Amino acid sequence: MDTLKLYWKSMGILMKSQLQYPASFVMQTIAQLVMEGGELLAVILIVDRFDSLNQWMPGDLYFFFGMMSVTFYLTEFLGRGVTGAFPSMVRSGQLDTLLLRPRGVLTQVLCSAIDPRRVACIAVGTAALILGSKMAGVEWTLLKALALSESILLGVMLVLGLFLIEAVLCIHSVKSVELTNALTYGGRSACQYPIDIFPRPLRVLFTVVAPFALTLHVPAAYILGKPLYGWPAWTAFVTPLAGAAAFWILYAVFQKAMKFYRSTGN
Amino acid sequence: MRYITVENLAKTFTVRKKREKGRLLREKTEVQALRGVSFSIERGELVGCIGPNGAGKSTTVKILSGILTPDGGMADVGGLTPWKDRRKHVRRIGVVFGQRTQLWWDVPIADSFSLLKDIYRVPDADFRRRRDELTEALNLGDLLRTPLRLLSLGQRMRSELCGSLLHGPELLFLDEPTIGLDAVSKLALRDFLKRENEKSGTTVLLTTHDMEDIAALCPRVMVLGHGSKLYDGALPALLSRYDTQRVMTLRYDGDVDFPALPEDCQVSREGDAFRVVYDHERIPTAHIMSLLQSAGPIREWTAQPQNVDHLIAAMYREMDL
Repeated sequence: MDTLKLYWKSMGILMKSQLQYPASFVMQTIAQLVMEGGELLAVILIVDRFDSLNQWMPGDLYFFFGMMSVTFYLTEFLGRGVTGAFPSMVRSGQLDTLLLRPRGVLTQVLCSAIDPRRVACIAVGTAALILGSKMAGVEWTLLKALALSESILLGVMLVLGLFLIEAVLCIHSVKSVELTNALTYGGRSACQYPIDIFPRPLRVLFTVVAPFALTLHVPAAYILGKPLYGWPAWTAFVTPLAGAAAFWILYAVFQKAMKFYRSTGN
Repeated sequence: MRYITVENLAKTFTVRKKREKGRLLREKTEVQALRGVSFSIERGELVGCIGPNGAGKSTTVKILSGILTPDGGMADVGGLTPWKDRRKHVRRIGVVFGQRTQLWWDVPIADSFSLLKDIYRVPDADFRRRRDELTEALNLGDLLRTPLRLLSLGQRMRSELCGSLLHGPELLFLDEPTIGLDAVSKLALRDFLKRENEKSGTTVLLTTHDMEDIAALCPRVMVLGHGSKLYDGALPALLSRYDTQRVMTLRYDGDVDFPALPEDCQVSREGDAFRVVYDHERIPTAHIMSLLQSAGPIREWTAQPQNVDHLIAAMYREMDL
C-alpha cells in the first residue's frame, strides 16, 4: 500500500516538473500524436485495401490496434523508468544510489521517471478502441468491460516484463537494444494485428515467448464476439494471466541480475 | 563503543579489456581492489580516508554501505552485515557522493525531500523538525522551490547533504564532498559537518583528496593504497614523518650572483624572488641562510613548511603508490 502511495506521489511530482515547460510539452505531445496517428493510418489503409483479414472486419482491426496501443503506451507513460531510463542509470552509476535506500530497486526505478507525452498515443489508442467497438457493433456488458480492464492491466505487466530483459542484459553490460526491441517494439508493431494472420513461427513467438496473443488477443476476440480459435468464453479471463506470469518470471531474473550487479561492482 | 568492525575485507574486480583483433573472446584481467583491509571505528568518531585514485577507498565505502558484496572478510556495522541486511542497514546510514547526485534532477528540492521522507518512512513530525533544522543550518531556505539542476555546485552539495541526513542516520559516508567547491562553501560545509557530528553523535567516514578537509575535520586518518591499509592514526603524526622540507623565498637588494647551494636544494626564480626548497634535517637552515647572505644584502625572506599536498605526494611516493 505504502509502496503504491510512494509511486503515485513520485508520479505527481515528476509530472508537475515536466509541465514546467508547457511549450516543449505541447510540441512533443503533438509529435507523438502524429507518430501514433500514422500507425493508425497504416491500419486504416490496409483495411481499405483488403476489406477484411481472415475473419476480421475493419472494426475488429481497429479494436485490436486500440488494445495494443493503449496497453503499450500506458506502460511507457507510467513505467518510463523501466522502459527508458534504466540503461542510462546503470551506465551513469545512478543505480548505486538506489541501492542506498531501504526500498526495492524496481520500485525506485519505476518511481524515477514518467513520460506524459504518451497521453497522445493513449488517446489515439482509445479513439481506435471506441471506433472499433462501434463499427463492430460490440454490445458492452460488465463481463466484457472486466475482460478489457484485466487484459490491459496484465498487458502492461507483460510489456514491463519484456523491458526488464533489456535491464537484465544491461546489468550484465551487454548492449542489447536490437535483441530486446524485437520483442518489445516489434511485439507492439506485430500484435496490433490479431495473432492468427501470422505464419506459425511468429504465432509461437507471440504466444509462448512474449505472450501478447494470450494477454491481449484472446480477450479482444471474446469482446468482439469472435472467439480466437473458437475457445470458450472463460479463456478470455484466464489466458491474460500469461502476462502476469511473464512479468513474475522476468522479475525474478531481474532480482538475480541485481545480485550479480552487487557482487561484481562496476 | 565499537560501531564498525571490518576484518580482512577483500574484493577483486574482473575487468574485461577491449577485444583484440582476430580474437573471439575478450581478455579478462583481475584487479584486486581490496586485499585484506581491517579496521574498527567507534560510535561518533569522525574518520578520514585518503589514498591515491584506485586505492580502494570507494570500494570500501560501497561495501560498507551495502552496494557491493565483498569476496572475502567480514564487516559489522552496528550489529548488521551491510551486504546481507541491505534494506535494514541502509535505513540507518546516509551517503553523499560528491560526484553523483541522489536527489531528483528536475524536481524542486523540497519535493525531493518529501519523496525521501516517504522512501525512508520518516514520521511527519520528525521529518518537519529535521527538515527545518537542516535547511536552517545549511542555509537552504530560499532554494527549496528551485529544481536541483538550477542550483550551483555549492548549493547542490548542501542540498545533497540535507537529503542524506533527513532520516537521521547514525552513520554518514561522505565521498569527496568538497570536490569542486569554492573556499566559502568548503568552509561552511566543514563547519556544518563538525557541528552535526558533535550535536547528533553521527559517525562519519570521509574519503577525500582534499587534505584540508581531513585537517579540519578528522582527528583520525586512514591511508589506503593498492587495496591495503598503510596507516591509521592522527594526521599530524603522519605528516611529521614527511614534513622535512622547507620552502624559503627571498629577495635581494639589487642584483647579486646567486650563491652555489648544496646539491639537494632546488632553486627556482620568479622575477627578482628566489625560491629554495631544501630538507631541513639534512641541511640546517642556518647553513642555507649563511650561504645566501654571503651573496649580498637580503631585503626580505620567508620560510615555510611544504604544502600538505606535497607531503602526501611524498608519502605516496615512499609507499610506492
